[in-house]
Amino acid sequence: MVETRKQFHEELDELNADVVHLGALAAEAIHAGTDALLNADLGAVEQVVAADRVLDELTHSIEERTYLLMARQQPMAIDLRTLVSILRVIHEIERTGDLMVNVAKATRRLYPNPLEPRVRGLLDRMREQAAVQLGAAIDAFADRDPAKAASLPDMDDVMDDLQKDLFRAIFATHSTDEATIQRAVQVALVGRYFERMADHAVNVAERVAFMVTGQFRHEEPQAG
Amino acid sequence: MSKRIEADDVSAWFGAFKAVEGVSLTIEPKQVTALIGPSGCGKSTFIRTLNRMHEVTPGARMEGSVTLDDEDIYGPGVDATTVRRTIGMVFQRPNPFPTMSIRDNVAAGLRLNGVRKRATLDEVVERSLRGAGLWDEVKDRLGKAGAGLSGGQQQRLCIARAIAVEPEVLLMDEPCSALDPVSTLIIEDLISELKDRYTVVIVTHNMQQAARVSDVTAFFNLAGAGEPGRLVEVGDTPTIFTKPQDERTEAYITGRFG
Repeated sequence: MVETRKQFHEELDELNADVVHLGALAAEAIHAGTDALLNADLGAVEQVVAADRVLDELTHSIEERTYLLMARQQPMAIDLRTLVSILRVIHEIERTGDLMVNVAKATRRLYPNPLEPRVRGLLDRMREQAAVQLGAAIDAFADRDPAKAASLPDMDDVMDDLQKDLFRAIFATHSTDEATIQRAVQVALVGRYFERMADHAVNVAERVAFMVTGQFRHEEPQAG
Repeated sequence: MSKRIEADDVSAWFGAFKAVEGVSLTIEPKQVTALIGPSGCGKSTFIRTLNRMHEVTPGARMEGSVTLDDEDIYGPGVDATTVRRTIGMVFQRPNPFPTMSIRDNVAAGLRLNGVRKRATLDEVVERSLRGAGLWDEVKDRLGKAGAGLSGGQQQRLCIARAIAVEPEVLLMDEPCSALDPVSTLIIEDLISELKDRYTVVIVTHNMQQAARVSDVTAFFNLAGAGEPGRLVEVGDTPTIFTKPQDERTEAYITGRFG
């Protein structure tokens, strides 16, 4: 038997590799943006904003090439599911990049006041959790691993708990002066951004499961 | 007007060569069933067992049973010509009778059946040409030779000829493979209309065509050169083309072999 669509499958492989690369760029953004915030480093904020443009460009490039492959190759079965999933997955990753720009920009709004030690520690843990979830989702995509993809919702519970802890830490200050409240709102928003990033990772994992099995989540047999 | 075909454990030979092995397939009425698969997988041979065209080839034979609404088309006393009238066929290359006019091409089957009345013939000719989506293009030149039409028009003329004798089933063996893309799309639209009245079975090499026109898709494959073709998987067309169950189907429709 001969492989009959070699060129198409090579282009599809390139797209898959670029999606993994896009995920790596978003993971870098998570760390760079959080470092900018925790270190109150305004110069690093600019770098995060600039890096997001690279991420956006790669997203658009993947999207365009996906449309072209669909139009020119009329993909079927796993190939069709892969291309449709790529369109969804890159959107989730691109949103993660945008959210990290928001996190980095919060540095300017909080400047020059330092973060509370407890808040600082929680944001650092939220960064780690967001990065771990994105990494697991991208690994599941790269390895076509539905078992790994299935682990994401449980991981997301950790992030939800961290967000609750963050809100408690914010309320624990009991301050009523306007500047403190404004800073508290910024910190709460940053927490919300991390929580959203983790949700995007869960969405990526859902698309991976569909890509591999052809089943949407609501069609899957329920355990127990 | 539209009947169910049930093929049970059908095998077919050309002399000593076994071309098809053990195919069981139910073809539902008022649906388009597409047969796809690589060259040599037996799909064309199989479709020819459904209206006893296979046995026309010298040395060809078949085993198994084919029923049309529970009636055995290979039963004792069943006339093969009657079967072929009930289960019409359209071939890869348009094959109008070259010296006959458009009108006579369509009326040929009826005349063979002894219909002589001019009014009846005219009525059937118009109805059949309309049914084949050709009437408006040829109504002013019915007396002209069918061979003078374009390839796509000739194929629709053959479809008109096939439906003129009011079959229950239309078998189409790669009906568009000799046609240009526009004629192909016209025939595909026509197939969608024909299924309202007939059971339609189409053999096609064009997977996108199967995906566009059929309700059910059956994938045939052969294990290797010289091996007989077998039915691998049959299912509703959206499932076959988005999440086939058998990895051989997946490999074929994604072009990982072919």
